[in-house]
Amino acid sequence: MTRVRVLMSLAAVAVGIGLWFALTAPPDALQGEYARLLGIHPPSMWVAFLAFGVTAFGSIMWLIKKTERWDRLASASVEVGVIFTAIGLFTGMVWGQAVWGTPWDWQDPRLMSTLVMFFVYLGYIALRNAVDDPIVRARRSAILGAIAVVQVPLVYFSVNLFRTLHQTQSIRPDGSTMPDEMLLAMGVNMVAFTILYVALVVARIDVAKVEAENATEGAVAGEAVRPPRLNEVEDV
Amino acid sequence: MRFWQQALEIARVDLTVEQRVGSTLRITLPFAVVALIVFPLALGLQLGVVSAIGIGVYWALGILFGMQVALRQSATDSRDRRDLHTLLGVDPAARFAGRVISGGVLMIGFLLVLLGAMTVLFDPSLPEGVWPVLLLSTLLVAIGLTELATLAGEVTSGLSNRTVLASLIVAPLALPLIIGASQSVGALERDTSILPWILLLIASDLALAVAGVGLAQPLEEATR
Amino acid sequence: MSGGRETRRVEPVALFDRAGVSLGGRPVLRGVDLSLAPGEVVGISGPNGSGKTTLIRTAATLTSPDHGSVTVLGRDSRDRDLLTTRRSIGLIGHSPGLIGELTLGENLDHVARLAGIERVRVGRALDVVGLSEVAGRRADASSFGMRRRVEIARLLLTKPRLLLLDEAASGLDEAARQLIDALVESVCARGGACIVASHDQAHLEGLCTRLASLSGGSLEEATA
Repeated sequence: MTRVRVLMSLAAVAVGIGLWFALTAPPDALQGEYARLLGIHPPSMWVAFLAFGVTAFGSIMWLIKKTERWDRLASASVEVGVIFTAIGLFTGMVWGQAVWGTPWDWQDPRLMSTLVMFFVYLGYIALRNAVDDPIVRARRSAILGAIAVVQVPLVYFSVNLFRTLHQTQSIRPDGSTMPDEMLLAMGVNMVAFTILYVALVVARIDVAKVEAENATEGAVAGEAVRPPRLNEVEDV
Repeated sequence: MRFWQQALEIARVDLTVEQRVGSTLRITLPFAVVALIVFPLALGLQLGVVSAIGIGVYWALGILFGMQVALRQSATDSRDRRDLHTLLGVDPAARFAGRVISGGVLMIGFLLVLLGAMTVLFDPSLPEGVWPVLLLSTLLVAIGLTELATLAGEVTSGLSNRTVLASLIVAPLALPLIIGASQSVGALERDTSILPWILLLIASDLALAVAGVGLAQPLEEATR
Repeated sequence: MSGGRETRRVEPVALFDRAGVSLGGRPVLRGVDLSLAPGEVVGISGPNGSGKTTLIRTAATLTSPDHGSVTVLGRDSRDRDLLTTRRSIGLIGHSPGLIGELTLGENLDHVARLAGIERVRVGRALDVVGLSEVAGRRADASSFGMRRRVEIARLLLTKPRLLLLDEAASGLDEAARQLIDALVESVCARGGACIVASHDQAHLEGLCTRLASLSGGSLEEATA
């Protein structure tokens, strides 16, 4: 647990610094106070994509190596990733409403890919919850992870194609008006959120190891079935 | 050759079972047509709006109900049947291909009937030359959706909430199919090339076919 | 001294070497040692939940051991390509893996097509097991005994070298039990071997060349 404490402490310090920069920077000329979401939204989206990539990698490695640690890595990354994805989507909608006048841009391939990923994560977690056997759970989850690796890039590509060929551009905030302190906050929190992601994944893996150890305690199948009490049948 | 013999045999039996007791023609299709009827009523019978959204409603219902065609109960195997296939030396990839063939046939039939019903009920405003594009994209969507739903059905096989869980997995990953299909008609309306959208559908179908064949063996082990 | 004769080492049909199997994270079989020579019929008894089905499935290569090894017809059960080996394994499990919506004859015909067996033999197999008159009856409208006989007919077609029976005679009439005994003898006569798991001690004693029991996940052979 020591490494988790070290990572969490590092993450806390880094996130604290990043948030301090975000909160103390002057407001943006165009976006006003909403520009402070730069300290949360892009780092959350970065971690969402990172978590997905790690899940995909862990899934493929499990299919190749069939060792527990890859399954733990993939599932821990999904659980942490779904939280950051939700934060990224929510802050993005708040930001979009404030800056673009709409909470959602159907033509943004990153937004659409993130939304798809979010539901894939939810499906992945639902699938894991539905299976008791750890090997079966690992195998089915890994296959879903591998299927998602094939389809999600296609989602990105298809939405990008849609945007390109429709030739309508969403209004984007002009980054050149951002104060340097705000860009610094975003940069620091990119690193900080990544450290936080790693800390949470490592902690979740440690918890999964303990859960696995607890699950294997107990009688060998067969020994758990006692002989019936035949002379007590009438007493029921 | 053995691969295709096994695949076609599995498809043949699937379609035989569906023909005898299946839910596609008896339940899913009528339900989808009822859903078609709900839209104009919900829109207060504003016929101009109904006509404009006809194609979109077709694709939306086609995807959502089409998933249920591919996930139908008759296409699921009990553990004993899977064991039998394994011991008979049935190639898992052939089983996937067979399921996609039978599911694809049912899906194409389902979508074509739904398309006909939508055309009659919605009187959609269609651009010139739309029918070959609609039919081609229907075919490609049927293949891709069947592949995706077959994979999702296998991943969730034997689980108590299989149909809902598999639908949750399929729906977001079917986005390229929805975009490709709807935009292929949209391109005609805008007088632009349909090629990128058709290629998107073909790429999606091919990627899913490769995934299905490549993952067939681990899928078989996962569901034993 | 052997007098110049070579002693030929006979390869076992199946070999469990300190095999351990866990299911759901819990150990079911522990350190199982079992060697099955050609012509042998090993009977496995044990209380409910003792691991008989797991042992059968492990011998069928449907479950892999977590510890030790299981070798079937010369191949490690964890090898990736077991297609040929599995075609030489015959299994009758707890429930017949028939497709309910197909007739008894169609089920057997389906197996023949999947396994690449000449379909002309299907009629003969149905006749031998006594089902030729009822081959046109749907499987879900047939009795358990009839569906079991279809499984036996399947094994007459596939002619396995390793036959695995898991409570195969349960719920069968005397004629069907005798059919199973004849199947066992036929496999052994061809140089194959059998594992029979059952609660029916009398049946095991009459049929088997060796007896063993499962307790606490470990296999103990009965002394003569």
